Amino acid sequence: MAPPPPPPEYSQSVKLKYVKLGYHYLINHFLLFLLLPITLSLTIEALRTTPQELQTLCNSIKLTLIHVISSLFLVIYISTYYIMSRPRPVYLVDHALFKPPASFRVSFAGFMEHARMAPFSEPRSVHFQMKILERSGLGEQTSLPPAIRYIPPSPNMNLAREEAELVIFTCMDSLIRKTGVEPKDVDILVLNCSLFSPTPSLTAMVVNKYGMRSNVKSFNLSGMGCSAGLISIDLAKDLLQHHPNSNAVVISTEILTPNSYMGKERAMLLPNCLFRMGGAAVLLSNRRSDRRRAKYRLAHVVRTHKGADDKSYRCVSQEEDSEGNVGIKLNIDLMAIAGEALKSNITTMGPLVLPASEQLLFALSFIGRKMINSKWKQYIPDFKQAFDHFCIHAGGRAVIDELQRSLRLTAEQVEASRMSLHRFGNTSSSSLWYELSYIESKGRMKRGDRVWQIAFGSGFKCNSAVWKCNRTVDPTAEDGGPWADCIDNYPVYIPEVVKL
Amino acid sequence: MAEEGKRSRVKVESILSVVSSNPTRPGKVHKLSLLDQSMGPHTIHIVFYYGSNPFSDGPMSSDLENFRVSLSDVLDEYPVVTGRLTRGPDGGGWQVKCNDAGVRVLQARVDATVDEWLRSADVDEERDLTVWEDMPLDPSFWSPFRIQVNNFKCGGLAIGLSCTHMHADITSATLLIKSWADYHSTQTLTYPPIFTLPTHTHPQNTTTPPPHSPTTNTTPPPTKMATVTMKFSGPAVEKCLSGARSQCPDATPFDVLVALLWSKIAHWQEPHTADDNKRSISICTDSRGNRGQKTKIPLGYFGNALSFSVLTVEADELSSGKLGQVCEYVHRHVVDRAGPGLVDGDGEDPVRVYGPQITCVSTEHLVDAEKNGEAIMYSAVFDNNNNNNKNNIKGEKPLHVSYSYGNVVGEGLIVVVPTAEVGPGRAVTVTLPEEQIDMLCKDQEILDLEGVMVISGGR
Repeated sequence: MAPPPPPPEYSQSVKLKYVKLGYHYLINHFLLFLLLPITLSLTIEALRTTPQELQTLCNSIKLTLIHVISSLFLVIYISTYYIMSRPRPVYLVDHALFKPPASFRVSFAGFMEHARMAPFSEPRSVHFQMKILERSGLGEQTSLPPAIRYIPPSPNMNLAREEAELVIFTCMDSLIRKTGVEPKDVDILVLNCSLFSPTPSLTAMVVNKYGMRSNVKSFNLSGMGCSAGLISIDLAKDLLQHHPNSNAVVISTEILTPNSYMGKERAMLLPNCLFRMGGAAVLLSNRRSDRRRAKYRLAHVVRTHKGADDKSYRCVSQEEDSEGNVGIKLNIDLMAIAGEALKSNITTMGPLVLPASEQLLFALSFIGRKMINSKWKQYIPDFKQAFDHFCIHAGGRAVIDELQRSLRLTAEQVEASRMSLHRFGNTSSSSLWYELSYIESKGRMKRGDRVWQIAFGSGFKCNSAVWKCNRTVDPTAEDGGPWADCIDNYPVYIPEVVKL
Repeated sequence: MAEEGKRSRVKVESILSVVSSNPTRPGKVHKLSLLDQSMGPHTIHIVFYYGSNPFSDGPMSSDLENFRVSLSDVLDEYPVVTGRLTRGPDGGGWQVKCNDAGVRVLQARVDATVDEWLRSADVDEERDLTVWEDMPLDPSFWSPFRIQVNNFKCGGLAIGLSCTHMHADITSATLLIKSWADYHSTQTLTYPPIFTLPTHTHPQNTTTPPPHSPTTNTTPPPTKMATVTMKFSGPAVEKCLSGARSQCPDATPFDVLVALLWSKIAHWQEPHTADDNKRSISICTDSRGNRGQKTKIPLGYFGNALSFSVLTVEADELSSGKLGQVCEYVHRHVVDRAGPGLVDGDGEDPVRVYGPQITCVSTEHLVDAEKNGEAIMYSAVFDNNNNNNKNNIKGEKPLHVSYSYGNVVGEGLIVVVPTAEVGPGRAVTVTLPEEQIDMLCKDQEILDLEGVMVISGGR
């Protein structure tokens, strides 16, 4: 006689789903389930005692006035200490992004022609760049600064300064317009630009142009790679803990003019193909008055630095090739190192953001692997439960693919990253803000939503930030953001290989 | 003609590429017509001279950036201009792959003021204001359109456009700059470009064109040629016209000026191959506009819509001094044009473009179209009305527009172009062997017209 047929897949998975749901609900609201019966029994007990019994209970405790007053003071003292030592909330009032003028556009055909005409180019390096561009996930509307569009590229300090002024001042003007902040009111100014660091610094340039106060706290971070945007946010957050009632302007950008690689070493040609112009300015505040109008509240920032490991340290480095051209060399094991750094980061992030149910499962499987059977698969917590939106640094198509795979994200969750890469290219530290703006322009950002921003950078660093949406963002009210004129064309289907 | 040790006053400072603001639909291809392809290795060079630089005032920090903004915007309408040449699928004719590769833009500085230049420079020096490049063997990475922006000492500007004749004729090239000026000023185009025509109006050949490939060498002319440009004022041309009207009531300035020059040149011309008593010239007119032709090609058509034909006349009639009669022949010949293409004049030798006889190029169609009689090229004004126009300076009309051709081999070339003043005044650019030019400049009748010489090397 044939064995009974196994229950169909569908009903099995449905049963499992309900079990999972029930488990999560139970664990996440565990305290509630615990408290309910206790409170109930106490209430019933209180209702049963008569007022006389209560009176005798109070008398038996033998409280004097001193006791009462001192215990009152103790309570007040403890609660004040508790309130004062809580971290100040950091609000993101608004952000402004740089939209490059249409005349800065770079087409694939134009890029390839220039690559061919570059002074040190040879057919192999040109062919390599073509292959990279075909698979890069970039579109035909990314932008490069004028210095790089010259034949041959003519990066000089003047043009670099011009690019910096264009990007940074446009962002600042836009931020001032959107938030109404007065430059004289700015208390803290943090700017990060990895590869261009002139004297006087770019922050000095901003202070000069906008006439900021003489006691503004300015910090110029350079050399910190693509994850420097979140490092600046972290720095501003720490400063805002120290200074009550203050605001901070954080500017993230990458100035490309001085960094076009003019040689033929293939590992160093990648940044030429992927890096594009972009910039962002963000206003953070810890003032109570900004609580109503702020878009987001900063929940956590987690920074992971793997520089202690030699391989991670050397995987992205700026060096000279054999002909003396300076460029940024990307090592072949970049993706593996990025994966390791990500794992470290989410191990730290997990307990902060995951619901108790996921943490319990993770802990159980961890203990089980260590003590019972090391062949058990490590349970990877489902981060989709903790976050509503994901902003993954648009470092390149490979990075987004890898993260989508390892975090098991859906196509919609990485859509913001892919579309930002397509429309703006890899804008380095500001790419996270373009992605956030995409989500807002699509009308997907609702009050209470949690956003996870992940950035990777040289060093090797993996930094992430968690924001909680404070008020629903209305896409139509966006004051001409970078996506305003093209958001309806997105999402766009990006083929694996674009034939050039 | 160049003096010993004379260094060019033009110094090119930078080259870059400008692409359109918005991407073109991928895979777009424009097939060049048969007439386009028969234009062979010829190139067109146009220079627009302005007294002041309209790009120094604008939303961006440098004038390079200002003109890139309006140029990128207008290139959206001209995907053919930013494309690259490739061979057709059957390995035959050329076509343009509209891949947004862009146009080359050069920035140059001129060590002279505009007035000095117009007075003292000659055609060889004017060559430096545009880019002269022959199509390479593999044109897939070569920009057929090159714009050179020349800054003069006085703040004046010369915009030099050069392109292959296969892509455009002088009308299309002029309208490209006119569209750029329109876009810069008002963001609308007076003559939006059209790239395809309904088949029955498409330029046809009556003779098969010689296939052009970049390896065809054009042998340099054996004689040294010189060029002068004479600007004849309205009243002077009117005088000639009134003289000719008795026999040719509808004479246009082109007709009468060609007749006048031909009667002078006829003495030195090579006789017609078949008959010693006849002289011929090749007349090139444009089939666009409303010249009452059978085929209606709109003015905005981007490509070649020229027709070349040979006019042969008895030598005696030319030297007899009967200007009106010759003018009538020319006028009749122009009016009888059947349509764009190469047409045999007498049914004898096949006609070639720009040669071997003297070719006379007419641009009368660029005057008729404008309502107030202003020439189209002189209406290319770069206004800064809609930008941050701090000084509120109104844009200027071009001071002068010159046309030259590259790789033209023949006995000579006469190009009749309107002037900045509205009316029958014309600027005539004559290219002939050097001695003939010298004699022409000394001719009494020509001197009587009191033409002003520009770009003639200080003659």
